[in-house]
Amino acid sequence: MNVTGIIFANDATMGDLTSKRTMASLPFGGRYRQIDFHLSNMACAGIRNIGIISRYNYQSLMNHVGDAEEWGLELGEGGLEFLTPYAMSTTDRYRGKLENLYFAMDFLEYGLGNEDEYVVLSDSAVLSNMDLTKILAAHIESGKDITIVAKAGIADGRKQLDLAVKLDDKGQISDIAVDYVAGPEHLASMDTFIMSKTFLVHQVRELVARNLCHMDRDLVLGLWQKGVASLNVYPFQGVALFNESIEEYFRNSLSLLDKQIRHDLFGRCHPVYTKVRDRVPSYYGEECEIENCLLADGCFLEGEAEDSILFRDVKICQGAQVEKSLIMNDTVIGEGARVEYVILDKNVTVRPGARLVGTPHDPIIIKRGETV
Amino acid sequence: MYFQKKRCIAMLLAGGQGSRLKVLTEKTAKPAVPFGGKYRIIDFPLSNCVNSGIDTVGILTQYQPLELNEYIGNGQPWGLNKTHSCAQVLPPYERHDKKSGWYKGTANAIYQNIDFIDRYDPEYVVILSGDHIYKMDYADMVAYHERNQASCTIAVRNVPLSEASRFGILNTNPDNSIYEFEEKPKQPKSTNASMGIYVFNWKVLREALISDEEDETSSNDFGKNIIPMLLGAGHKMMAYPFDGYWKDVGTIDSLWEANMELLGKEPAFQIRGNERQRIYARNSAQPSSYIDEDAKIYNAFVAEGCEVYGTVRHSVISVGCTVGEGALVEDSVVMPGVVIESGAIVRHAILGENSRVCVNAVVGGAYGPKDKKKISVTSKGAVVEKNTVLAPGEML
Repeated sequence: MNVTGIIFANDATMGDLTSKRTMASLPFGGRYRQIDFHLSNMACAGIRNIGIISRYNYQSLMNHVGDAEEWGLELGEGGLEFLTPYAMSTTDRYRGKLENLYFAMDFLEYGLGNEDEYVVLSDSAVLSNMDLTKILAAHIESGKDITIVAKAGIADGRKQLDLAVKLDDKGQISDIAVDYVAGPEHLASMDTFIMSKTFLVHQVRELVARNLCHMDRDLVLGLWQKGVASLNVYPFQGVALFNESIEEYFRNSLSLLDKQIRHDLFGRCHPVYTKVRDRVPSYYGEECEIENCLLADGCFLEGEAEDSILFRDVKICQGAQVEKSLIMNDTVIGEGARVEYVILDKNVTVRPGARLVGTPHDPIIIKRGETV
Repeated sequence: MYFQKKRCIAMLLAGGQGSRLKVLTEKTAKPAVPFGGKYRIIDFPLSNCVNSGIDTVGILTQYQPLELNEYIGNGQPWGLNKTHSCAQVLPPYERHDKKSGWYKGTANAIYQNIDFIDRYDPEYVVILSGDHIYKMDYADMVAYHERNQASCTIAVRNVPLSEASRFGILNTNPDNSIYEFEEKPKQPKSTNASMGIYVFNWKVLREALISDEEDETSSNDFGKNIIPMLLGAGHKMMAYPFDGYWKDVGTIDSLWEANMELLGKEPAFQIRGNERQRIYARNSAQPSSYIDEDAKIYNAFVAEGCEVYGTVRHSVISVGCTVGEGALVEDSVVMPGVVIESGAIVRHAILGENSRVCVNAVVGGAYGPKDKKKISVTSKGAVVEKNTVLAPGEML
């Protein structure tokens, strides 16, 4: 496929959960990192040349992605490249995605995919299982400059959308707004765009030269308003999870317990690939009680868990109770401990008998490696 | 092409038909039979090699090799795909001098691949078979072999005297040197059973293979021919005692038992392990498993990609299986991709890959702990129709 992929690894933050990792490497769904969904979307569409733009904290991401052989992206048939900000010393204040793209010009013009005709840009905070070949075909058929992949039903009059678009009865764009609290008649951009590479390269040069660096505001809205760019909106029909705040991340994680959402995200168009860890199957003890949970491999379960997501190698000791929580890799819930509405990061130890109770809107977060 | 000299390489005999596994090996070579939820039998010797620092493995295939070859692929899951490491599948081939064709026996299989071994100019060759479940550090066995300046070292385990006549028995001196080998003796003199794991000095083995090939009466087998020949020639041969878990999973009953021995808080065979004891497998891209609010799971392994709505007790459920509402799975081995529909009952069974037990069907039966159990088996892709029964011990 003559398309280059660009994934933005950290254009948002999520407090303690992303203090030492990128949004792209945030664990999700028991066995995954958020970027797995984007890499799988791209790899399964036959995209072989992918650049990951990562500004900071990218060690865990590089460790996870490795040479990307799990996604069939190891060098030889294309490959994957980390585009880290080598020129940021001149501009220490981050101004926007276009500036990052400006520093990725070499990759686009002379790098792996220098012969590719199109570019798919994607941000790691919005998760979906989409067929990019169909979206590219729709983009080409539309004859427009930019295709915005957007989702109905996200705008609810409370959530601020990065980019909101409204269509009239004929499917034409009647309104575009940036950083806007939109009502249900607007579609939310999934931060996934398709455009020709020549167009992108040209516009990034023009805009950054005029100190215009914001992707949604300057490239999409700005060029549309000036009549420079024509836009196509591709309404995505599948599940789209917008993990843009801790509350959303927590809610969306637990939404995987719903069969329809789970089957759509993991199997709508293709499987989701992730780094192989070679853990044993999870072991369920004689007296464990596991109800309505999603569990990864390697867990050792002797206590109770309900309405929760357990990542790899989680240990729940006898008499421990886990309810409505996200428990990340290698975390141990000690005997008789009780946790409810919590997010326990990797390698956390909950002491025997301890109690941790958060709320649905404000789950308690315990940082990686801590003992509580 | 440049081949790095290796101190030690391994040759893995994976060509056997495994006919005693019956329907499970109709379309699959025995080493490719699923085990323990996410593994295949061959993962154990292959992972042992990697964990022992052996990075060059020749894999001799013959019977139904398609699935096995595909599974091994380029050796990537075991890290055997690097510049100076390999997992090389070695099928039989035709040669100009006609000393080739199907592998006639275990020794002939190695004989036909002398060129492969010579490329690495090894001091030692480890010969393994692809039908045992165990964890062993071959490096330790090679060091023992080297320390004793032996020509050949054979791993042995102590078996009950009553069972010894089923094995190749090695009679040893007090220093563990072997003075006699008896294949399935009627009146065994000792209980040192050969595990089919050999370390040879390559020079010695190479010569033995060539002279064995010239002997037209030979059945070209390690146990029957090569070992007695070397003993007769006065080579120093050592027994390497091994007391860890080891199981030949060549029969339906032993395959079922070995799976059951993974279960429990302190199982007979601990499949978990740290870096040097981990078992590696080719992974399929499966999401986490979903356990429903009405599901009940006790003393069981459940691998990735499963959806469990019913009850699972004392069983191994492999990747990508579904256990429907109200279904019961007990004392069973459920291989990858199996669907057990609602209301079905499965007890004392091995369900082959992608087989299906339809609504309210019944497979197998219940036994007391001391009863002789008859295991029911479904073959790959088999369907136990709605409301029907697959009786204890029956195969489909």
